[in-house]
Amino acid sequence: MMTLLKYEIYRRWIWLVLRYAALIVIGAILLNRVSSPAYQYEFIGESIGKFALTSLVIFIIIIVEGINMLKEDLFEECGYLTFTIPKKGRTILASKLVLLLLQLILWTVITIGFGSIFFSKLPYHEMVQIETQTNFYFFPTVLFILTAFFNFVLMIHFSLTLTKTLLVNKKYSGLLSIGIFFFLVYLIEKVYYGPFLNQIKHISIEIGSRSNIDLLSGGYTAVFLNLILIAIFFTATAYLLEKKINI
Amino acid sequence: MEFNNSIPIYLQIIDSIKQDIVVGKLKSGQKMPSVRELAGILKVNPNTIQRVYQELDREKITYTKRGMGTYVTEEEKTISSLKEEISKKIILDFVEGMNKLGFSKKEMINTLKEYL
Amino acid sequence: MEQVLKTTQLSKYFYQKKALDKVDLSIEKGKIYGILGPNGGGKSTFLKIAAGLLKPSQGEIAIDNKEPGVYTKSIVSYLPETNYLYKWMKIKDALNFFKDLYTDFDVKRARKSLKFMELEEEEKVTSLSKGMMGRLKLTLALSRKAKLYLLDEPLNGIDPISREKIITSILDSYSEKASILICSHLIYYIEKLLDYVFFLSEGRIILSGNAEDLRNKRGMSIDKLFQEVF
Repeated sequence: MMTLLKYEIYRRWIWLVLRYAALIVIGAILLNRVSSPAYQYEFIGESIGKFALTSLVIFIIIIVEGINMLKEDLFEECGYLTFTIPKKGRTILASKLVLLLLQLILWTVITIGFGSIFFSKLPYHEMVQIETQTNFYFFPTVLFILTAFFNFVLMIHFSLTLTKTLLVNKKYSGLLSIGIFFFLVYLIEKVYYGPFLNQIKHISIEIGSRSNIDLLSGGYTAVFLNLILIAIFFTATAYLLEKKINI
Repeated sequence: MEFNNSIPIYLQIIDSIKQDIVVGKLKSGQKMPSVRELAGILKVNPNTIQRVYQELDREKITYTKRGMGTYVTEEEKTISSLKEEISKKIILDFVEGMNKLGFSKKEMINTLKEYL
Repeated sequence: MEQVLKTTQLSKYFYQKKALDKVDLSIEKGKIYGILGPNGGGKSTFLKIAAGLLKPSQGEIAIDNKEPGVYTKSIVSYLPETNYLYKWMKIKDALNFFKDLYTDFDVKRARKSLKFMELEEEEKVTSLSKGMMGRLKLTLALSRKAKLYLLDEPLNGIDPISREKIITSILDSYSEKASILICSHLIYYIEKLLDYVFFLSEGRIILSGNAEDLRNKRGMSIDKLFQEVF
């Protein structure tokens, strides 16, 4: 798997460096502006907003790239190469997911790093205001978001892979993949998270279609649920890649 | 070497080698190219060459020393009978061809004399 | 004789179409086989199943007595018709990739072959002409010391000079320990290379035999025979 991971990094290393460099540089510039003696309180909000936007854009790029890593192997000619090398389906999938994970971690570290520095530049009363308003568990929430998006990518991978086992032409594959994905989301909503929706205690975080997630027991329940989903979808996708797909 | 793909290729190669031996292009006792070498030169399947050498060995036109290669026979008798065999075929072809055209025995001899 | 590949009643269906219909065949060591037939007759489908890209609908296929999977992929060298190399690669990247992922890949031989094929390692894969790409793909496929080589239309769209180089390369990689399976509808150029041929049409083998025997019995070239049969 390390060999495949090596190539996943090698083929896009310039883009990888650029995107994190951009995030760091823009963060540094904005931070610098905010730190200069001539700064005024009104601007800090603007700078935080700009940084947040940059960070969000980079995040979207990471997610889209994560999806495309498998999509191109399933639906384009290079799939002939990927699926004739002597590696198991789970190895091929894992190499892509590991890169995704590494990127998510790096992104999180940079964003939170800069974020907390920005936050500490806020005038005292604003800091207190924010803290009392958003009384959530920080670390579990971060983990929840990461695992949720990781699972999101994995669910799309599964949908794409399932499509590839059912259809051979490229024609309706886009539609079928989307259909499968939304069906899965519906299924998970109804069957998986249903029972837990009853317990709402602390802050509710709205992520896409999943609302009012329980953050009980230190907030790790939801993270745990996500991890189970990740395990399920990884196993299922790996199995399909190994035994069922027709390229 | 140009091949006629309608006739077994190994036969054509055998004929060609026999000719080369009679004509002296391949000397008696000379080492033949290896199976792979000849296959590469003629651009044919190595198994075809293998068959060629087996046939030639069988007819004692060549002999194969295990691990060393295939050699043209040193027996003068074999080479001269080969010459006979080939020339006989040419003559038979001539006679058959001329017969088909309607030449009588005398006419054949006369025409032949003209060209010698 | 050891069987490198064996299929039993192998079938592949796409919706209602029978791409392969109960195909029985076996491939022995040390021989060069041709699967000949018109386009759409099932040749590519057969090779893809052997390469592990398609799964059989019915029947069995065994390579070195194993079902297609990670092991068979490590002993089978597949040359597809498509441009299957990653678009970000330069030729040297392709070499390194093959070297890293296939233990039987002979880099020295590959470099020699690249020279023979007049290809530069710094060239981007996307900038290669059809002929160059064909030569590159063949170099990669034949530089592996595989047990079974599956070549899908290696001469398609290839210029005459490249063609000669490709034929020479195929002959060079012949080994008594391996088998080569060539699919083509351009029979004229490859028939001298073939030990044995299968004629595949509409998913079925309609004729098969030793190439020389067929020439003898039918009194015509395999090319002519093909035209007659189809």
